[in-house]
Amino acid sequence: MNQGLREENFALRLVIGCEGRLLSGVRLLCFFLALPLAASAAVSRGFSRLLDAVVRIDVREVSFESGQKRYTGGIGSGVILNDDGFILTNAHVASPRAENINITLANLERVNARLVGWDHWTDLALLQLDLTDLKRRGLKFSHADLGDSDKMEPGDPVYAVGTPYGLTRTVTRGIISNNRRSFEDGVSTINGYETGLFNTWLQTDAAINPGNSGGPLVTEDGRVVGINSRGNNSAESLGFAIPINVAKRVVAELARSGAGGGVGAVTRSYLGLGFGPLQGLEEFYSLKQNTGVLINNVDPGSPAAKSGLKPGDILLTLDGAAVDGRFPEQLPPILDLIASKPVGATVKLAVRRNGQTNDYALLTEKLESRQGEAWSFEKWGLAVRKVSRAYARENQLEDANGLLVTGVQNGYPAAVAGLGRNDVITKINNEPITSLEAAKKLYETLAEKPDAVLLESRVNRQVSNRILKPKS
Amino acid sequence: MKTSRLCPSPRRRAAVLCGVLSVMLACAAAHAADLPALWKERVKSVVAVEFFTETELDRRTSLVAGVVADNNGTIALPPGIVGARVTAAQLKDFRVHLPGDPASAYAKGEYLGQDNLSGWNFVRVEEKVRGRLTPVTAFAGKPGTAEPAMAEEVWGIGLRGKEEDFLPYLMVARVGLVQSLPERTAVALGEVAAPGLPVFNGEGAFAGIAEGGFGSSYLQYGARGGATPIMLMNVEESRVFVLAAEVTPWLTRAPANVMGRPIPWFGANVGPTDPELTAFLKLDAQSACSVSEVYESSPAEKAGVKAGDIIVALDGKPLPRLTPERVAMRFFDREVDRRAPGDKLAFTVLRGSERVELTATLGDEPKLAREAERKYFEKLGLTVREFVFGDGVVRRVKLAEQKGVLAHFVKASTPVSTAGLQPDDWIQEIDGTEIKTFAEAVTKLAAIEADTVRTEFVLLVSRRGETQVLRVKQK
Repeated sequence: MNQGLREENFALRLVIGCEGRLLSGVRLLCFFLALPLAASAAVSRGFSRLLDAVVRIDVREVSFESGQKRYTGGIGSGVILNDDGFILTNAHVASPRAENINITLANLERVNARLVGWDHWTDLALLQLDLTDLKRRGLKFSHADLGDSDKMEPGDPVYAVGTPYGLTRTVTRGIISNNRRSFEDGVSTINGYETGLFNTWLQTDAAINPGNSGGPLVTEDGRVVGINSRGNNSAESLGFAIPINVAKRVVAELARSGAGGGVGAVTRSYLGLGFGPLQGLEEFYSLKQNTGVLINNVDPGSPAAKSGLKPGDILLTLDGAAVDGRFPEQLPPILDLIASKPVGATVKLAVRRNGQTNDYALLTEKLESRQGEAWSFEKWGLAVRKVSRAYARENQLEDANGLLVTGVQNGYPAAVAGLGRNDVITKINNEPITSLEAAKKLYETLAEKPDAVLLESRVNRQVSNRILKPKS
Repeated sequence: MKTSRLCPSPRRRAAVLCGVLSVMLACAAAHAADLPALWKERVKSVVAVEFFTETELDRRTSLVAGVVADNNGTIALPPGIVGARVTAAQLKDFRVHLPGDPASAYAKGEYLGQDNLSGWNFVRVEEKVRGRLTPVTAFAGKPGTAEPAMAEEVWGIGLRGKEEDFLPYLMVARVGLVQSLPERTAVALGEVAAPGLPVFNGEGAFAGIAEGGFGSSYLQYGARGGATPIMLMNVEESRVFVLAAEVTPWLTRAPANVMGRPIPWFGANVGPTDPELTAFLKLDAQSACSVSEVYESSPAEKAGVKAGDIIVALDGKPLPRLTPERVAMRFFDREVDRRAPGDKLAFTVLRGSERVELTATLGDEPKLAREAERKYFEKLGLTVREFVFGDGVVRRVKLAEQKGVLAHFVKASTPVSTAGLQPDDWIQEIDGTEIKTFAEAVTKLAAIEADTVRTEFVLLVSRRGETQVLRVKQK
């Protein structure tokens, strides 16, 4: 796991549209263009079926960053997977923060959907149409057929279908530009959640714009081979899709874990290892080519650190299977292999150090995001997240207690008290904050009283005491 | 006072007004008549100092104004003119220019170091020009002279640029406010002197030294309307001066060595306390300081200070009430800095509801980044620097785990920069061998640089808490 997470990946952006003034003008344009486009489309039966399975997704979601509960809107795309009304889209289109998810079907009818499962690590989310409502209104929909992304080769023609800038059912054409794209500029994030560690991408020159997110990348016969998720602001014709074979596994897990009604998730394992490509270092480490992967980083306090693994070690085998991390493109599958192990399982590693090979047995932990649960204490104008274990580890905090301040509202008590982003509130009125629930309870009793509240906060390792005076 | 003596006893209000006006004119005339004579003498107490900072690739020029501190050619220069990353050895070729002399005719200066208490830098000028200089203390007011009063007229000296031979010029302003920051500091109603240069009162008595670093808030209006708040700072002239009573002792603080040693050390991060908190703690009549972090093995730690403690008294006396709050923190720092290693510092902290009396024995400040050893490997394209205490604080590394060296400088388009090494990377291993000391790193890198056969080497570096192996291809 990399530690130096950046809030934003500067080159790559997530392809999501935002409601704004621009759209009204674009919608007008759409009105004139829609008819000729539909009339001139001459496509295969499979492709036409696919078009009927692509939906527009309008999401209204809560944000806490201002210190208040605020609503924001976004537009994305999705593709219907089966007769149960499951829709695959991007995790950055529909997240657990969504209060309302509205689907526009191919027949332009609108229907609500619920979030079945969410996986920020692969940037995938699974929705389900409100079948009762569909039945009541007598609405029908079709679903897409999935292809095999492993078979895609550079040069293969592909189409992107989606809702760029809110333009429903837009088809653009291109080829597969690279079938195994990896990004070497660190871990990117969606709303602060880590993403993109465990897979490579299909790169295409089919035009992908904000709003295309979550829409399918398909073959000429309409089979879905990828989910469009990223574009590049400063370049033309650089779009990236999550391979459908990655999505198939994630969908199955999200559907299974989300069946009960809550938001499903993919459970992954964690060892605390960060890898680097070995290319060119084989001689230095006296290795044959295509043998092993370089351990670049060992998270402090992780199972790998506890077992004595060190940066500069070479991982040769994982549970007996040889590992080959010569090139950057080969690293995501190795991370995925570790993540796919059951939580709490023993993983056997053969590791080379100073020409000697040793065996290690590591107990996997559950992989956690650095992002803890978000909440806002509105009367204080304070937005927080629970400090996660991963955040505590990254920032060398003594424990994962406390609340991380993610935003304060100007002129509100938290801002007046001098709290700011990245402060960690560790005590409220001398009461240590071990959980978000505990903080909520304290808040409920304190927010109603006129008394000043004593807060202990930390930033880096520095402790401050602050007085928060409720708004009168 | 003066005006009332000179005024005839008036009977009518109009006469009073008339009288006051005429006296003011008379005073102004008298003042103006005195000033050239006062100026002629006092301008001998200022100089311009030019020096060079040599880095691996550059040689940067700095120009600052300085004040003559004594009869031995000691010149005091304002704080902040030498970067924290710059070593004394990198400061070269100090040139002392007498205002108005041709800029090509300068005297040589020797860098004496920086004083920890005042932050001032000191230079000693060569003997040949000392006779033409007068220490500013020669113009000290009579003992017991009162602080400048509100609206009192004061004047100071500014210097033009090098291309104008550092010609001195006059600035005049009235005092608007005198406050404790924590030094008694006057804010004038206009620019009164170049930062680092003296200010005098109407009688020519040394009133203080101008301090830079104060900005003024403005609104900037764009072409399309809409205002953006900005802060502007006049770097050549200042309205703020620290009073003579405060700075006169500092003029004698030229350090005994360029490192400015000894430097007393408390070893805790002491910050301001929010006024709401002081009010909450019922400390309205005073200021307090908050201890936000206590460094490992420091005098503060040994004295039993804990993070979160609130310092309320020093030597049994409550901290004075100072505004803004950060001034209280400066007050505490000054109290430490005016002592010497080995001195005691007795203080009182509030810890929860308890009041705890503590005494620390100040230590010697651990080696600073500017004192750390460094070595430039030109062929490899990097300067490595010794890992010092402050580096451990920044990287949150315990003393026992401190090792390796820092990449202080990485030259562009060299083997190490191509390999991805960045300035401030923490080099922990070279060629798979753990580096414990600076000397080990230098030996290893020197051997690598001298080896004409080898084609590559490997560094293990840590950056923002994450390590990575870098392969440096030499050929």
